[in-house]
Amino acid sequence: MAAAIIEEISDYLQKGRAKNVKKLVEEALEQGINPKEILNEGLLAGMMIVGEKFKNNEVFVPEVLVAARAMTAGITILEPKLIEVGNEPVGKAVVGTVKGDLHDIGKNLVVMMMKGAGLEIIDLGVDVDADTFINKAEEVGADVIGMSALLTTTMPNMQTVVDALKERGLRDKYIVMVGGAPVNQTFADQIGADYYTADATSAAETAKAAILERKAK
Amino acid sequence: MENFYEIDKLCPKIELKSVLKTMDCYEDSPVYEEVVEEYEDHYEEAMRLCDPVGVIGFGEIPAELANKKYPEGTKVIYAVMSVGNGLKEASTRAFQEGDYVCGMLYDAMADSALFSLDGRLVEKLREACSEHQVGIKRRLEAPHDISMKVQKVAWEYLNLKERFGIRISEGLMYDPVKTSCQVFVLTEDPEIFKAQHDCRNCPNLTCKMRNIPETEVTVLKDGKRNAFLLKDQESVMEGLIRNGYKFSAFCGGNGLCGKCKIRVTEGKTAISPEDRKIFSEEELRDGWRLSCKLFPKRDLTITFDLNDESDFEILTDHREEGDQDWTEGKTAAEGAGAGSDGAENIGAERAGEYAEDSDISYDIAVDIGTTTIAMQLLKGTTGKAVHTVTTINHQRAYGADVISRMQASMGGKKEALRQSIQTDLTEGIKRLLEESGVEAGKVRRVAIGGNTTMGHLLMGYDCDTLGVYPFTPVNIDFIEGSFQEILGNDLLDASTVLLPGISTYVGGDIVSGLLSLGFDSREQVCLLVDLGTNGEMALGNRDKIMVTSTAAGPAFEGGNISCGMGSVAGAICSVKIEDGTVSVKTIRDQAPVGLCGTGVVETVAELVKEEIVEDSGLLDEEYFEDGFPLAKDPEGKEIVFTQQDVREIQLAKAAVRGGVETLLVRYGISYDDVHKVYLAGGFGYKLDTEKAIAIGMFPEEFQGKIEAIGNSSLAGAVEYLTEQDSRERIGKILSVSTEINLSADKDFNEFYMDSMFFEKG
Repeated sequence: MAAAIIEEISDYLQKGRAKNVKKLVEEALEQGINPKEILNEGLLAGMMIVGEKFKNNEVFVPEVLVAARAMTAGITILEPKLIEVGNEPVGKAVVGTVKGDLHDIGKNLVVMMMKGAGLEIIDLGVDVDADTFINKAEEVGADVIGMSALLTTTMPNMQTVVDALKERGLRDKYIVMVGGAPVNQTFADQIGADYYTADATSAAETAKAAILERKAK
Repeated sequence: MENFYEIDKLCPKIELKSVLKTMDCYEDSPVYEEVVEEYEDHYEEAMRLCDPVGVIGFGEIPAELANKKYPEGTKVIYAVMSVGNGLKEASTRAFQEGDYVCGMLYDAMADSALFSLDGRLVEKLREACSEHQVGIKRRLEAPHDISMKVQKVAWEYLNLKERFGIRISEGLMYDPVKTSCQVFVLTEDPEIFKAQHDCRNCPNLTCKMRNIPETEVTVLKDGKRNAFLLKDQESVMEGLIRNGYKFSAFCGGNGLCGKCKIRVTEGKTAISPEDRKIFSEEELRDGWRLSCKLFPKRDLTITFDLNDESDFEILTDHREEGDQDWTEGKTAAEGAGAGSDGAENIGAERAGEYAEDSDISYDIAVDIGTTTIAMQLLKGTTGKAVHTVTTINHQRAYGADVISRMQASMGGKKEALRQSIQTDLTEGIKRLLEESGVEAGKVRRVAIGGNTTMGHLLMGYDCDTLGVYPFTPVNIDFIEGSFQEILGNDLLDASTVLLPGISTYVGGDIVSGLLSLGFDSREQVCLLVDLGTNGEMALGNRDKIMVTSTAAGPAFEGGNISCGMGSVAGAICSVKIEDGTVSVKTIRDQAPVGLCGTGVVETVAELVKEEIVEDSGLLDEEYFEDGFPLAKDPEGKEIVFTQQDVREIQLAKAAVRGGVETLLVRYGISYDDVHKVYLAGGFGYKLDTEKAIAIGMFPEEFQGKIEAIGNSSLAGAVEYLTEQDSRERIGKILSVSTEINLSADKDFNEFYMDSMFFEKG
């Protein structure tokens, strides 16, 4: 019984049916199913499937957006219950577009997918300087610092953040991830970032895997 | 006189179509309706959130922006337009709230609104220029035409902070982000006004906003007005043919024969170099143009003279008796048969020689190409090629490529197209028999290779599903029948077979090619590429084959190139540029008249080598207006290569390269794992592979691995008739083949973009 409704939640989420997802999450809670299970096996599992399909070109951006919105609808219902049972997110990430750069669509998609992977995200917005990245990461106890840049003129500011981390002796404390149109693996290696990913789904998967690996140690 | 003009009466528009396109939302998406509904829900709010402002200012290029082309002091107008921050803020808020659809919509709506302000900007520029008695010779947009620093210069010069509260970031971005900046280079000639953004010349070929507007052609004939829309890159002649006006342009639309002449009665049009050759000054003034070289940017009305009635009439059925052929199929004749042994020395083994042997039977192999048809008579059990005939595919009167043929078929011309190809094949076979002196009764079997569309048209199948997602063919198996059943007459009493294909876009011609190359037994992975309007390709070995097709366009066949032409005598086929001196070679060493496909590729390779074309594809300023002169024709007119020509080649070669890269990635191998690269088709046969690598059509790692194999489709049909186990072999090829659809492939899009430029390595 329990498994059936959880699967239904995942199915409706993949189709982007926010209303159905909401209703089913409520029903599942009424049935006394553990909110953690609803989150992980229903909402996040469904979002993973959509993300994977997006990566394999089986669906396009609009389908992902619609599914992610349904996920938000479900999580909103679930959130108070999750706090009650003391659910811990997979990990925490501070994410933003670097200083001088005001593009945010790419960063927003990464935030969306990372939430879908069960991470808690602190979205710092755009035009974020090195101190803000680091101070916020320190404050919330983040695992990941994620940076986006869309211009060749602002890419060097990723280096600034990595250098500032080193200066403060915090470099190894964080998983540093970079992305954006002009960024590539070579650049990431050059500035000493931990990971470069080419799309939002890979960013979310990589972040999750890296956090789990670190926690396993 | 004012130096600064704020732009009033700004009416931003948000267009559903462009918004959906920006979001990658297509009609076949399962959430299409939901997104459209959402759009409608937010449209009014979005319009309310638009806060458009704009200003232009007369100024000069300062030292920090100056370069060779635009030195310090160059007179310019700086222009900045913005739709304000409301939409962007709404987008960010929606994303934060988890309403991702709405967030994406607001962002795309802001782009659409900003783009729509351009019309009013151009109007304002016109007013200001007329006051100042100056003209505009060029529009520059950062970062491809001018450095990003221009944003800072314009910001200071136009006092944007005080004026509109626009800020600028360290990275030189404006805040609000939905703000655009352009520079217009002035000229003293007030008659010149080139202020519009012209997508035709824009290097951003993958821009979601790229929009080449359709132009309307009105035909005035016998007191009646008929209008049709011309597509992007379509000549007026092609438009006329597509719309049922009958045509007999001998040169095949290459601006040589003058048979397609029309008179423009309303609307301004450019005069092409070909027009100047054919018409007198007076005729040009009267509006006479060659419709095959006419690519109008604005609507126009045309008519044709009564005297020319014989050249144009509404197409009702197949061509009449006595109608002349478009051209002799020289191109195909050179390429055909090159892939099959024993086809040489055809001339020596002609007439009558084989007629004596009364017991011997014959087979006929046929390749139906979109443009040309090739057929070969094979002798008895040895399968020796006795004679080859090539002819033009007269379906060409219904459109040059497979897409326009499909459209013609769906538009009620199905039966006419079928009759056309049946007649072409029958006439060709008659010639084949007559010229070799073989009796019709001796022919036992006919095997036909061709792309899926050609097969459908021959069989009289509906093409309705070929052109639309998910592109399902009616039947691409082995199709067998009597000659009568397939060709519609009883010239031969021969069993006839159409070779099978893999999909709508990878048809029997490619399967034939794979058969002739023995892909079914190869251990090493090889690549087969057929370079036509649709670049079909197959990568693999006996265990796994992946196939795809990519829309390369007609540029490799000289199509859509301003001085382009088919591979006929006088076409420039080889080009060298050294220290500013151009030397060319032409087919049969005749006086140059135009450029064929190989000439086009060589020209681009040389222009890039000499840095006359930048990595981005931008042609040197000096040649921007009139094109780069390659040679003079016998009448002294320049044969030139234009900016638009370079763009055509960029699109075409990026399509091929993107396809190759995608296949490699999907197959999971590197360049080095590819043992051989086979180029099929007439164009590939003559292509200088080093030049093809130089322009980036293929990676440098393929150097020395590329081999031109001519008409491999015909060779495959020959193989089918001469090898006993070929049917099983084809079955094996089909069973290990999978197709990749590039139009829905994200990797392809990236490779395509990456391959657009002329960068080394």
